[in-house]
Amino acid sequence: MRAFQELAEVSRTLENSHVDAWKRDGKKVVGFVCSYMPEEILHALDILPYRITGKGAQDTSHADSYLTRVNCSFARSCLELGFLGQYDFLDGAVWNNGCDHIRRCYDNWKAKIPFPFMYMLPVPHKISPQGREWYKGEVLKFRSAVEDHFGVELSSKKLSDAVSTYNETRNLLRRLYDLRTGDSPPFTGAEVLTILSAGTSIPRAEYNRLLRELLEEAKPHPDGASNGKVRLLVAGSLMDDAEFIANVEDLGAIVVTDALCFGAKNFWNLTDEGGDSLENLIDRYYEHPPCPRMTGAYPQRLAFLREQIERADVKGVILQHIKFCDLHGTDNALLKRDLEKDGIPVMELERQYGPLADAGRIRTRVQAFLERIGA
Amino acid sequence: MPEARRNALERMVETFNMTSDLPEELDVESPPVQALLATLTESQRSNFLAMASDPGVRKMSSVSNAAMAKYWDAVLSARDRGKKIAFIPFNCSPEIFHALDIVPVGVEVLNSFAIVLEEGIHEYLDLAVERGLPDTMCSAQRGVVGLLEAGVVEKPDFLVNGAAGSCDPNSKIFEYMSEKWDIPALYLDVPYSHDRRAIDYYTEGYREVVAALQELSGNKLDEDRLREACRLTNQCTEIIMEINDMKRQVPNPVPNYYNLNHLAQKLMLVGTPDALDFYETALEVCKERMEKGLHVLPEEKIRFMMMYTGIYFDQGLHHWFQEEMGVSYIMDLLVFFDFNPIIDTTNVDTMISGLAEGMLSLPMTRQLKGSWDMPANWLEDLLYYVDTYKADCIAFTGHAACKQVWGIYRIVADEVRRQLGVPSLRLEGDGWDSRVTSLDVIKEQFTEFFETLA
Repeated sequence: MRAFQELAEVSRTLENSHVDAWKRDGKKVVGFVCSYMPEEILHALDILPYRITGKGAQDTSHADSYLTRVNCSFARSCLELGFLGQYDFLDGAVWNNGCDHIRRCYDNWKAKIPFPFMYMLPVPHKISPQGREWYKGEVLKFRSAVEDHFGVELSSKKLSDAVSTYNETRNLLRRLYDLRTGDSPPFTGAEVLTILSAGTSIPRAEYNRLLRELLEEAKPHPDGASNGKVRLLVAGSLMDDAEFIANVEDLGAIVVTDALCFGAKNFWNLTDEGGDSLENLIDRYYEHPPCPRMTGAYPQRLAFLREQIERADVKGVILQHIKFCDLHGTDNALLKRDLEKDGIPVMELERQYGPLADAGRIRTRVQAFLERIGA
Repeated sequence: MPEARRNALERMVETFNMTSDLPEELDVESPPVQALLATLTESQRSNFLAMASDPGVRKMSSVSNAAMAKYWDAVLSARDRGKKIAFIPFNCSPEIFHALDIVPVGVEVLNSFAIVLEEGIHEYLDLAVERGLPDTMCSAQRGVVGLLEAGVVEKPDFLVNGAAGSCDPNSKIFEYMSEKWDIPALYLDVPYSHDRRAIDYYTEGYREVVAALQELSGNKLDEDRLREACRLTNQCTEIIMEINDMKRQVPNPVPNYYNLNHLAQKLMLVGTPDALDFYETALEVCKERMEKGLHVLPEEKIRFMMMYTGIYFDQGLHHWFQEEMGVSYIMDLLVFFDFNPIIDTTNVDTMISGLAEGMLSLPMTRQLKGSWDMPANWLEDLLYYVDTYKADCIAFTGHAACKQVWGIYRIVADEVRRQLGVPSLRLEGDGWDSRVTSLDVIKEQFTEFFETLA
């Protein structure tokens, strides 16, 4: 599993060897935080889009002076790494107003440790034709701002190529998720999250190459992975922590799919490759499986979850949210009600991100949940 | 789970009716009044004294309470009168509902007035959590979810939310109510910026909401009624500005408690003759105070401003500031109305545009929708209000659920101090839940803070 090992290596560090090589070529790297950011625009401008996370933060002592204890630990962990200079290799960063926490993370970052290029790309909070036009206007402004700052120009051809490249990633990831629907998934949920995490921080062509190799190497798990293990779906707040999933799987479960913005929700829908690439891109990002920030879109979120449950023969669902994440916390309460009506056992779990995570409590809760559903 | 109780609105009407005719000559120290006060809970006593001790405050509160009794009674009887009810947030103009013959209920106003119920609001805040809501959701709306869960308030016919983009908990709780009780919901998207493009986008969204409301209710927008509501609102706005001019004076003749009455009237009753009645009375009281040289007693030692929301679980804070501390509570963010325009009543189009522009400038929507240092945002407004109204200090109540404000409190407060030399205090509390930090503790913290300013 050479490809997996390489992806695992990439996911272990922020400034990985691919980023170093990219920068040695004199090319730029721009961070982003949210799945509503059309990465293809940066890719087409030969800028590496790099997803900012809080992975690796040991504590949040610096960030807590600005984003306080009532702010989400993911946002605090990101800011902490910023204060520690861990993201100094970035030439800029783009935020979306994804939630109240992350936009305040942007405010503090901009006030205290700004990159040469700091940009907020606002996204409407409802799905409507009018909102779609607003979003288009914002994407166009964003494109101009990047072009002006970095002295580059977006061509239709390069954008069209970028759309194809990203669609290839999405198709490869769909194949990976298809493998997980079988009785013997070749990868655990923790391994899949590692694979996804790596993809947010390396050049896309390289990632696609590794994914292709990975899929060629993939074999049904020799133990017949589902072997008595409970097939779970994990949904909710941002999750890039493979250790969290490993902790759950260690108790006799296997995570076979998800509804996460770091996972399936981020790649499930493709961009149309006919016609105007920019228009298609705007449609794709605006209408991708919606985050709970999108008001009135609860039925779509429930439908997406049901689709994943059915596809992967899920026997139980963990609806987690990071403490103080009102968007996911509230959605989870409704999802629990509706999924349990469907006969799907559900566990709601409030957790902290990264260094504040309390693994012992979570293990106890998960163990009780698995017992409840008869593992 | 609370025991079965009578409809909350019925009881609110009774309470407001009881306090709508406070006598001009009332000696709160007299034995009969003291005996009456002894029968009240501590919170009820504190709230009563806050509105009844000062003759001027008593006069304007009587008018405000009468209007509130009438309003809640109208909500209570709406269904019998064949009218539909819409729950709206504080940042949604009520005028349009009057013109559509729909009865609007401000969720935060209902939540705040639930403190007059004998059982208070705590059990409703808790019940909402017990039934699913995260305990980190805002107590400004959570009590209403509890009231619905307990069955002491009837579910509305529609929900209209105008906070998507400016406040996650607020918009999310409307979606929660919609899904939980199967109530049709309309959402108005708040843009990140405050330029012409943003105002046009928001106005267009507002037009769509109005059109959808007509379709849902089957009621047609009545242009004459809308004009009358807007005309009344404009008259109120002019009086609000006149009172605000008085607030700029040192010492400030406007009683602290005015802010509370003003908040309820502005958010819920503007566009009605009752609100105008209140503002005319308040103006009369303020003018009289100014002519007599009355201000906070025994002297205006400190001019104080809440940089964000205030304390609503016990209205005694305003009274304590005024009568014991010599602190003039100039305003809090929820009564930052200096940028609300006069509505052009030429036709439906101009009125809807005016209402939308006003809504985008309503407190919180205006200051919290984008980045802290953008034009027409929190920092710019705070600098304006602190400077214009000559505040000596500011404070943040630390309302626990408002994570986004917690997230920028420091950079905003630091900048206000840097630019204007005005210090701030950060408390840790909850505007509607006294269990987080009690009023006694809050008073201690203010006392210590004010001592540092001497």
